[in-house]
Amino acid sequence: MTVTDIAADRSALEAGGAAKTELVLKSSEFRKGREAGWRELEGLVGRVERRGVRALSLDELQRLPILYRAALSSLSVARTIALDRNLLLYLESLALRSFLAVYGPRANAFQGLRAFFGHELPAAVRSARWHILIAALCLVVGTVAGFMLTMQDEAWYTSFVPSGLAGGRGPASTRADLLDKEIFAPWPGAAESFGLFANVLFSHNTMIGIMTFGLGMAAGVPTVMLSVYQGLPLGAMLALHHNRDLTLDFVGWLTIHGVTELGALILFAAGGLVIAEKILFPGRYSRIENLALHGRVAAQIAVGAVLMLFVAAILEGGFRQLIQSTPWRLAVGLGVGALWLAYFGLVGRNASKTGVNALLDKAGPNALLEERRR
Amino acid sequence: MTLAHERTAQFLEGVRRERRQIITPEGVPVTVDLADYGERLIAFMLDLVIWLVLTLAIYIPIIAAIAASGGSLIAISIALFIGFVVRNMYFVYFELAWRGATPGKRLVGLRVIDRAGGPLLPSAIVARNLTREVETFIPLGVLLTWGKAATGDWESLAIALWLLFFAALPFINRDRMRGGDLIAGTMVISLPKRVLSSDLVENTAQYTFTELQLRAYGAFELQVLEELLRHPDTPETMRVLNEVCDKICRKIGWATPVPPAEVVPFLREFYTAERGFLEREQLYGKVRADKFSPPTKAG
Repeated sequence: MTVTDIAADRSALEAGGAAKTELVLKSSEFRKGREAGWRELEGLVGRVERRGVRALSLDELQRLPILYRAALSSLSVARTIALDRNLLLYLESLALRSFLAVYGPRANAFQGLRAFFGHELPAAVRSARWHILIAALCLVVGTVAGFMLTMQDEAWYTSFVPSGLAGGRGPASTRADLLDKEIFAPWPGAAESFGLFANVLFSHNTMIGIMTFGLGMAAGVPTVMLSVYQGLPLGAMLALHHNRDLTLDFVGWLTIHGVTELGALILFAAGGLVIAEKILFPGRYSRIENLALHGRVAAQIAVGAVLMLFVAAILEGGFRQLIQSTPWRLAVGLGVGALWLAYFGLVGRNASKTGVNALLDKAGPNALLEERRR
Repeated sequence: MTLAHERTAQFLEGVRRERRQIITPEGVPVTVDLADYGERLIAFMLDLVIWLVLTLAIYIPIIAAIAASGGSLIAISIALFIGFVVRNMYFVYFELAWRGATPGKRLVGLRVIDRAGGPLLPSAIVARNLTREVETFIPLGVLLTWGKAATGDWESLAIALWLLFFAALPFINRDRMRGGDLIAGTMVISLPKRVLSSDLVENTAQYTFTELQLRAYGAFELQVLEELLRHPDTPETMRVLNEVCDKICRKIGWATPVPPAEVVPFLREFYTAERGFLEREQLYGKVRADKFSPPTKAG
């Protein structure tokens, strides 16, 4: 447009007699009608942010969802009719803040942990039962291979079992050596066993577990290899003791913590396989989306595995040498194993169906009020 | 937020914030600002300091008590265990009780929300915080305490790579999620509080502007003018306002000079008329983003 255009336009207007017009803006009227409601909501949300839902009275709780929905509708309208930046930003922020106040987490830390350990973790483990089976098979294959090879030639032992793990045991060890220094070695005392040994074991095993889990990203090949690889020293040690007629005592010595520890390593591997599956077979999502959708299950399994390792470290570091009889060791180890099976297999079976839905129901705007009435 | 508003924000605030839209269960899209890396780092550091102070407050009596009885290794173990529990309970407790904000996040103005706009479930909070343990703290602990003693070079390297990967993760995905966020389906947003100022609209019209004059500008210029008019009344603001007034007069061909005392009323009336005009046009589906967009002729 040019200046002459404008001048012409203006002179035309003046020629027609410019009357002073009373300006009425739709957006301005809209704001006048609703501002009181926004201010009230802002006050309520501010109090919820500072002191929690308890700061509101029953009447105010009843008003909150109504005002919240009104603010959302105001926002939608303002986006189409208003160009007032301050107003738009204010409504965006108010809508978001009240959304967070209305849909915020409605549980305390204890309830959250109970929901997690009470049904989500076991449900996640149950949903990965095929992955667990594959991981367990890998471990068994490794163990059998290690056993067979070492049975033929004990020289294999030194190549399967790293020196740090061997602890002086090897083809040269005699039956008496193994019995006194390993299987029925005296209890080193609370400080040594619970303090140092358990910590070292926990850290070491967690690292191996995390590697098995994390390398699931590489399509699961390293996960499978690591699982088989972990079976090798196990089989080799079994063969070493078998050759010295110590099979049952060794199994007892191993079982007390091994059931939990190997269970944890299997869980880590299963978590890695879940990741691998989601990356390899993304279905109708992109690989990253699919991983984000199902990653929660894998992470929950990993958290469960860390928990198991923690228990295993306490059993191995503390109790193994405290209990000096093979039948008792077998009993404790298998008993703990049965407890894990029962926990992952049975806990939260009914709750898992209603659990998440119940939590979702509990999070709606009206739930605030119901919760207060109870 | 529309394109014009985005541009105004960038022009006025100088920084470009990453924005996302979440859809509330009521079906209304709401705009959220992603938290900056710096903000998240500061919040995390604050939390770490608070955690350290808390843990030390619990440690010292226990260590003193056990050291007196001679079992220093047990003391270390118990201390480590308490540190582990306090650390995890701290994050889980506050994110549940304070609706997705730990003390550090609250000070910086950050919140954890569900990425899809659903309610933030307790399980998501537990998952995102327990993952932090697997992601960072346990590997870090292993590297620091046992890195030299019990693990070989390859294992240390693997741990270092693991740590590096998770440290880099927020930088390589567009929603700046760390591992825990990815897994729990959450994201961290910045939540500024906005104040509703008074409406700038003047209802008494002294000056009259023609439609052709009002067509000179678009939403972007209108909102910059709004921001200027809302500025506190200082000599500097007055100087800018005078300049702007001159520019507008030249652009729309306003012949009669505006006296200095009348600059603010004139600009406010121009703002009112311009906003009324642009809003009416927008209602008819003729959105004008700025003065460079092609003029939409009525009819």
